[in-house]
Amino acid sequence: MTSYIDQFPEEARLVKAAMVSAFLALAVGATFGLLQVLHRTGMVRVLSSADYYTALTAHGVLLALTFTIFFLVALFTWGITTSLDRNLPSMRFAWGWYGTMVVGALMAVVAIFAGFLTEPPTLLGEELSASVLFTFYAPLQAHPLFYLGLAIFVIGTWIAGYDWFRTYWAWKRDNPDERTPLPAFMALTTMLFWWLSSAGVAIAIVVFLLPWSLGIVDSVNPLLTRTLFWFFGHAVVYFWLMPAYMLWYILLPKLSGGKLFSDPLARVVFVLFLLLSTPTGIHHQYMDPGIAEGFKFIVMVNTMFLLLPSLLTAFTVVASMEHGARQRGGTGKLRWLGKLPWRDPVFTGMALSGLLFAAAGFSGMINAGMNINYLVHNTFWIVGHFHLTVGTAVALTFMAGSYWFIPQVTGKPLWNRTAGLVQVLLWFLGMVFMSNAMHRAGLLGVPRRTAEPQYENFAFEGAIGSVGELDAQVVLGGTLLAISTIIFLVTIVMTMLGDRGEVPDNSYAGTLSGPEHSPAILDNLKLWTAIALVLIVLAYSLPLAAIVQRGGLFGPGIDGITRVLPPIDTIGGLVEWVVGR
Amino acid sequence: MDIHTYEKAWLGAALVLIVFFIATVTYGTVGAGVEMIDDSGGTVDPNNLADHERFGDPGVEQVGENEYEVNVIASAFFFRPGSDQRGFDPIRVPANSTVTFYVTSSDVIHGFSIPGTNVNTMVIPGEVAELTVEFDEPETYGLLCNEYCGFDHHNMEGTVEVVPEDQYDGGDGQ
Amino acid sequence: MSQPTDPPGTPPDSAIERELTHDEFDPIGTAVLITLYFLILVGMWLFTYFVEFLGNGPTVVGVIG
Repeated sequence: MTSYIDQFPEEARLVKAAMVSAFLALAVGATFGLLQVLHRTGMVRVLSSADYYTALTAHGVLLALTFTIFFLVALFTWGITTSLDRNLPSMRFAWGWYGTMVVGALMAVVAIFAGFLTEPPTLLGEELSASVLFTFYAPLQAHPLFYLGLAIFVIGTWIAGYDWFRTYWAWKRDNPDERTPLPAFMALTTMLFWWLSSAGVAIAIVVFLLPWSLGIVDSVNPLLTRTLFWFFGHAVVYFWLMPAYMLWYILLPKLSGGKLFSDPLARVVFVLFLLLSTPTGIHHQYMDPGIAEGFKFIVMVNTMFLLLPSLLTAFTVVASMEHGARQRGGTGKLRWLGKLPWRDPVFTGMALSGLLFAAAGFSGMINAGMNINYLVHNTFWIVGHFHLTVGTAVALTFMAGSYWFIPQVTGKPLWNRTAGLVQVLLWFLGMVFMSNAMHRAGLLGVPRRTAEPQYENFAFEGAIGSVGELDAQVVLGGTLLAISTIIFLVTIVMTMLGDRGEVPDNSYAGTLSGPEHSPAILDNLKLWTAIALVLIVLAYSLPLAAIVQRGGLFGPGIDGITRVLPPIDTIGGLVEWVVGR
Repeated sequence: MDIHTYEKAWLGAALVLIVFFIATVTYGTVGAGVEMIDDSGGTVDPNNLADHERFGDPGVEQVGENEYEVNVIASAFFFRPGSDQRGFDPIRVPANSTVTFYVTSSDVIHGFSIPGTNVNTMVIPGEVAELTVEFDEPETYGLLCNEYCGFDHHNMEGTVEVVPEDQYDGGDGQ
Repeated sequence: MSQPTDPPGTPPDSAIERELTHDEFDPIGTAVLITLYFLILVGMWLFTYFVEFLGNGPTVVGVIG
């Protein structure tokens, strides 16, 4: 028996540290989640309604960025080293990017948490606060520390990606004729679209928001910074999701007792995500003035085609599970389902998160449909949707995966299998209640992102059920999720405090149809990156040009700002500045 | 590539599904006449709304026999007109009318949503959201901001009254 | 069924009764499940688009005239 810590003791420490960072973010973020459901429904209000938005910012940043991305870097480090059977070139360097991410995350978190103080400390001449939510739409302004922290965090992930790529290049030099192993292929394609898309948010922060928050420029163009956010903002959801897909493709078949049905299609799926993750971001802006209907329609077509890789994944992953079940004696059209290892929390957690992801697929299709956004845009429906995607498909897969990974990186067996099983079941149940009620409330017009969705002038009315019933479901769901989080954290802590013992081998699923059946062109990352770039230019150049032309590169001057720079002057000024150097 | 027949069939079905979704949305545009918020509302200087022909004196204006224009400024934390609980006029239009809303913001990004209907748009400073709606029946609707805009966001609400034609007393100064 | 004493995450090799290669394996169960999913998606899409959305008027329409 060989576990990851035996093969890669140094890397195992890094993977463990990144996972623990992820779990810390989960612990704090989930606590706010519980406070929020109790507050919104009016059951218990611990915070003031103004502080609700600070809590919501922390919930979004800690869970959607910190928890997910720390887990991702842990998983991809494991995937690269295990599948290439090769160490990272330098552990010092690797701890460097991990440290960069930690510093960035802490800066952003400090800026957010200062918002809870009645008298926040002053730094750089401004009060420390960042109650701007996860999307930080200007002209809402956060303290520069928040923007700087986010930028540093993202730069940390870029360096991590470089680290994995150079490990891969070194491997390629030694093995020029071998196909890239699937886990490495998945990690590398994911990093490629991450670099492309996060460039958008990096420009938004470094060129516009940070100088503006420091008072270097007077204003911003709110539609431009918003569009740059969504340039990154949809790709980031795939950045969260790809590690979960990776686990479904390479662990689930093995846990089921079978093999991955098709390696070639898995590669096709990841190539499609590389191509289409970014040129779809404007579908978050269907309801924005200032963007022509034609651009929105083009983006909808891209978005609808982005369903394809997920629909293919559904087939391949379920077929791989079926293969395992049939190898273990499963028969019938559906009776084989009973032969799956439902007592294993790793398997059950991932299978249930896949099931809820299928449901999320439906609400995602609605969200992608351009004009039907009038019905759902900025309603609680959206919150229901992404609690099924990032909140379950991603989070529950990561938690279930942790029951496999923590033993791998510590050499200590899982503390309690039953606790794990109860935990994943509670998460599933809690999310069914909570997200179902959120979707239905959204159809009644109940808005998202509000501390008190109770209005003086009107009430929300539905054909079936009442707001009271929906609120009760949300609170029940949120409570089950909080209990589930506690059981998860206890199980992880107890496992890490335990003694070393027997743990599963560090291996992943074999394939029924292997890489030898997939065309070599699939591994041509340069080609796919080039096509991805072309698609981004096609989708974004005209809308961005129109937005800058309408509102100016640095905005029309907002809120008491007198200096209005016409865009041509701004560009001229930039050119002079560049040439002058 | 070695792809199983069932999986090829599923690939085909998935493509059919995608085309079917796009076709439905296209029907919504062409057949049902649903129009997207777009770039037709033009731009404004959010610092000088007082001098703007539309937003200098926002409110309801009759522009045709059954056609009305409603100019609304969204600010933290009210709609003008709209937020009657804050002392502004409610938005009041007659039934059987075609109403075009022009909505802009004087400060941060807001939302403009009439819950229980499909009237829903973002309100972005510098941009004017233009949306045309047909109100057939008399009814009193709520109006709310559905994009976080600051510490009192949850209190940003208002009223849209669609009154019977014979009770309608003209645009402003209701 | 894997034995309760197996560490979680262990492939239940012990319980494998037969090896199935790609050519021997027809994922008929997957085909059934995915067909069901397809039908649910189409049905819910039609309901949500035509009843929930288009029935939820007033709706933003093109400027007349």
